[in-house]
Amino acid sequence: MPATVTGSTRVFVVDDDEGVRRALARLLRCAGHQTEVFDSARSFLAGADLSVGPACVVLDLRLPDGNGLEVQRELNMSLPIVFLTGHGDISTTVDAMKAGAADFLVKPVDDNILLEAVGRALLRATQMYESRQELAEIQLRLASLTPREREVMALVVTGRLNKQVAFDLGIAEKTIKIHRARVMEKMKARSLADLIHLSDKVSIGGFASARCSARPR
Amino acid sequence: VQIGMPNHGIFHKAIVAVNGWRRAPWHSRFRPRAVLADLSRFGWRLSTPIVVEPQKVFPIPGRAQEHHVCIGEVPLIGASMRDTLEIVPVAILCVDTTGMITFINAKARLLFGYCSDELAGASANLLIPEWQAHGARAMVTQPPCSDSLLHTAIARRRDGAEFPAEVTMGPCRIDGEPAHLAVVVERSERKELKCNRQELAHLTRVSALGELAGSLAHELNQPLTAILSNSQAAQRFMEADPIDVDEVRETLEDIVADNRRAGEIIRKMRALVRKCDMEWQSVDIGGVVHDVLSLVRADAIVRGIHTTLDVAPAIPPVRGDKVQLQQVLLNLMLNALDAVQHRPADDRLVTVRASTETDGSVRLSVRDRGHGLTIEQMDKIFQPFFTSKPHGLGLGLSISRSIVSAHGGRIWAENNAEGGAAFHVSLPSVPVAGEHQKCPQP
Repeated sequence: MPATVTGSTRVFVVDDDEGVRRALARLLRCAGHQTEVFDSARSFLAGADLSVGPACVVLDLRLPDGNGLEVQRELNMSLPIVFLTGHGDISTTVDAMKAGAADFLVKPVDDNILLEAVGRALLRATQMYESRQELAEIQLRLASLTPREREVMALVVTGRLNKQVAFDLGIAEKTIKIHRARVMEKMKARSLADLIHLSDKVSIGGFASARCSARPR
Repeated sequence: VQIGMPNHGIFHKAIVAVNGWRRAPWHSRFRPRAVLADLSRFGWRLSTPIVVEPQKVFPIPGRAQEHHVCIGEVPLIGASMRDTLEIVPVAILCVDTTGMITFINAKARLLFGYCSDELAGASANLLIPEWQAHGARAMVTQPPCSDSLLHTAIARRRDGAEFPAEVTMGPCRIDGEPAHLAVVVERSERKELKCNRQELAHLTRVSALGELAGSLAHELNQPLTAILSNSQAAQRFMEADPIDVDEVRETLEDIVADNRRAGEIIRKMRALVRKCDMEWQSVDIGGVVHDVLSLVRADAIVRGIHTTLDVAPAIPPVRGDKVQLQQVLLNLMLNALDAVQHRPADDRLVTVRASTETDGSVRLSVRDRGHGLTIEQMDKIFQPFFTSKPHGLGLGLSISRSIVSAHGGRIWAENNAEGGAAFHVSLPSVPVAGEHQKCPQP
């Protein structure tokens, strides 16, 4: 497992202090990272393109236009955050970590500590990016199902047999077989196990409710 | 009544003198010796008809005059003079050679706790017990201009309570009889206002800095962070082959700049904590604003408060003590930050403005979007120990006011039309300092 992920990854540096911004970006740059700097929470949220590829952010906890925790809320786990703070009190640290921060570092930060934290964050970002891509793909497939096919899929993945599904939905087993084949084809699942795996990845609330309402008793 | 001039003229002069005293900055107010000299001059004027030397009928006011009164001529006190002394807001009493009180003014009666007429003919050592020991005659025969003119004594109130007082003695004549005019200033009052003033100002500065300690630490931490990261980046650059000299040079330049920045923050902090006498110099108000803002900036950020700065170009310098003026702005800023701290995000705004007025004076304004001031607060905010904060000392604004008035300026508060309060400081600028010694009107 590589310590750092280079290539298409980016590191955003958000700090209102120009000196700190320059220094951090320089350090990250000489460790081979691609950096983009922002001087405020607003400019970061408005200007950073998060869709391009895996990225993480080194975020100052105190910003003139809002604190880092607000930015964290706004980002909603979409990219890993390495917090940097002048003095991290316990409650803020706990809040940040609970909300899913990748790391919480105290200024001044040693280069190795920062680079390791950024490396870990980028690794996580890459994984997150890949699973997000995969999820988007599965959701696209799911969206192509008809309502009836979704109902059939919801029941099939719980392990119910075709005839049980037919009974649950009050339709012929033959019809269920056709629906099931369509589901397998549209979801690009080669086996029932594959389909269950896919449905686990996108745990959609609709599945469970469809199953409950479909059950007669 | 021995009068050579029309009554109203004397009264007019006396009232001008009293008003001048009232308006004078604190340091000259508490100079009983000067007050006494002024009063003596009036007394002397009253006595002019019986003075033989003709050149003294229309004396030229000034130091020579005062000196003359001290060593030679003994002023006379007449009925008009008594009326004048009565309204002077300084405790004054006249004691004859036998040690009897022949006159005591309203302020002195208030100070000692007596009603009018109660003391007529009473012995002066009732008020200042130690006079008994020396004897009133000894007092009168003392050389009037010696250093013993001003001395500290224990004074006694009507209820028996004793208090330290500073007594300034001067010879005069009452209805032709030699007597003494004594100005009594309660020492605690004097001490609080003068002796402890610097101490108090220093204390509030230190406590204000204490409030800011966290944010100052942050402010220092920023350049330290930059220096560490830059140095470590430079180390990494040095390991590369070939070494990117330009990159290393740029990094070193940044390190130097950040180091200077840290030094500057420490210098500003030191200046505020420094304990020293007032240092009068030409002060750039824009510089004061920038210095103070750099100290409170981090604090404002932590509290989610937006600060805006509007410094007009070409503001003339003012004459004064830079540290004290910084302290005034620091107090106003900290108050403003407190006022908006718990407001909704849109109202967490503090605006600092520095500008030149049409009359040439310099105006500093700190506006907040807090709750504003009630009428009651408006009356009391500048009084010592008045505070609306749970942990406030209540000294910030009163010290600010005394600093501003020592600079010949004015400080006042008002509510903004759009909500919140605004504090204004108006200071006379250097080129027109002579004309604007008086407080400019808002």
